[in-house]
Amino acid sequence: MSSLTPDLSTLSNKDNTSFEELTVGGWFRNVWKAVSSCFKGMAITGRYIVAVKPVTIEYPEVKEELPENSRSRLFNDVDNCIACMQCADACPVDCIYIAATRRDKEAPKIKTDDGTPIRLDLKQYTIDTALCCYCGLCTEACPTESLSHTKDFEFAQYTLSEMKYDYLAEDVRAWKHRLVK
Amino acid sequence: MIEVNGNDINSEKMKSELLTLNMGPQHPATHGVLRVEIKTDSEIVAEAIPHIGYLHRCFEKHAENIDYRGVIPFVDRMDYLSAMTMEWGYVLGVEKMLGTEVPRRAQYIRTIIAEMQRVASHLLFFGVYAIDLGAFSPFLYAFEEREKILRLFEEVSGARLLYNYIWIGGVWNDLSDSQLNRIKALCDHIETEIDKYHSLVGENSIFIGRTANVAVISEEMAYSYGATGATLRGSGIDWDLRKKRPYGIYDELDFDVPLGTGEKGQLGDCWDRYDVRMREMKESIKIIRQCLDGIEEGPIMGKVSKIIKVPEGEIYTRIESSRGEIGYHLISDGGKKPYRLKVKSSCFTHVSMLPDLAPGQMIADFVATIGSIDIVLGEVDR
Repeated sequence: MSSLTPDLSTLSNKDNTSFEELTVGGWFRNVWKAVSSCFKGMAITGRYIVAVKPVTIEYPEVKEELPENSRSRLFNDVDNCIACMQCADACPVDCIYIAATRRDKEAPKIKTDDGTPIRLDLKQYTIDTALCCYCGLCTEACPTESLSHTKDFEFAQYTLSEMKYDYLAEDVRAWKHRLVK
Repeated sequence: MIEVNGNDINSEKMKSELLTLNMGPQHPATHGVLRVEIKTDSEIVAEAIPHIGYLHRCFEKHAENIDYRGVIPFVDRMDYLSAMTMEWGYVLGVEKMLGTEVPRRAQYIRTIIAEMQRVASHLLFFGVYAIDLGAFSPFLYAFEEREKILRLFEEVSGARLLYNYIWIGGVWNDLSDSQLNRIKALCDHIETEIDKYHSLVGENSIFIGRTANVAVISEEMAYSYGATGATLRGSGIDWDLRKKRPYGIYDELDFDVPLGTGEKGQLGDCWDRYDVRMREMKESIKIIRQCLDGIEEGPIMGKVSKIIKVPEGEIYTRIESSRGEIGYHLISDGGKKPYRLKVKSSCFTHVSMLPDLAPGQMIADFVATIGSIDIVLGEVDR
């Protein structure tokens, strides 16, 4: 045949030492070796059948409670937001869009929960969750702690545009009373 | 003389061709999106050409457009199975340029977390390697333990895989006493589990038959390709950055560097690389125990200004990641963003060994070879 066939003698596991030569006794010893080492493994498997409880969480029926620190869907409490743009600056993927106008001087003075005066009226606060990489840099930068990661992880959508959250919209604002963080 | 369609079949007209076979990019044995173009003669590999770039995310160029803090989430995404060590390598360089002193407690926490990450990464290697060679249940056992570590990471840092935990100047979050106790208990648990896994897989004669004497990387070959990590140590070369060029607090810790022994076959075969990783997990646990005993109270963040401006200059830092040596070459022009950030990948050098290792192997052995060098394509392509 052609010379393309590599020489079989170069096969790397030709002289495999873990198997004996094929004499009659060697054949039986090989079988015994394989069976006994398999039983060693089967003993561990058997222990798992009897002694170890299942660890799988049957997801849609049983929901896992994520830890407190867990970084999932972002939520911005717009009543506490001072539109300082620090989150948008910190974001490495630029997925936070903010628009704000200067607040009227005559308008009643409002403050956030921690007492920071709000000088800008928020006109737009949108986060493209599809772009978000959940790194947590924006929540760390937020001075009034209005922006936070929630533990909510079920927010799959059919289209990408649905992943864009307008935090000024009424339905998204209502999350404030639903989500605990 | 046999006649087929009126033609003689003789050695003149009979010819055999090499069959080109594409393994990957969606092949489970290639550990991600590696495509290997294999030229086979029946069951024997005559030539193997790895094609990379399917996971290229332009990280190095992208890093030039984001500030120093923002790079860390991207560093995570390179070696997503060992993100903590990747972060540490990058942060180490920036800290050296800034001259930041990292508090002792943060150093201890970093070491604990990085070593736990190494255990998690090697557990994944163990499970996936067993799957490559046809054993399914070790994978599930290993993932059960790995999940416990990842759960702890999630509590500490907030994410399971892409942590953004080790920050410039320290770490993001402190470890509480109860978490430290849990790590201690987890160490004891995992140590017994590792012995069990080893007797389940490593001592199994079928596993030995599949891995011993397969893809032998000689000392010379490991040197010439620039292999690092367990691939290098499997060939019996004593080189571990944690010992030889200590960073963090590794110079204060007592641990051994496991080397390949050639116990089941030749020195530097697949079994040796497997064995080195298994023993490395135990060493990691030893390191974690020492850190848990020696951990000091104190702050976890050093003094870092709010806007990081790295002084002009360049630096090359390297770190012993789970898979090998990761190097970061950082050039700064004094601005808020890196001027250039070049990453030296360990898996890339290991992938480049494949064309040399493959010829003459069976295809099934080739799968064992890819598994044994433990590559992560995110890091190869960057």
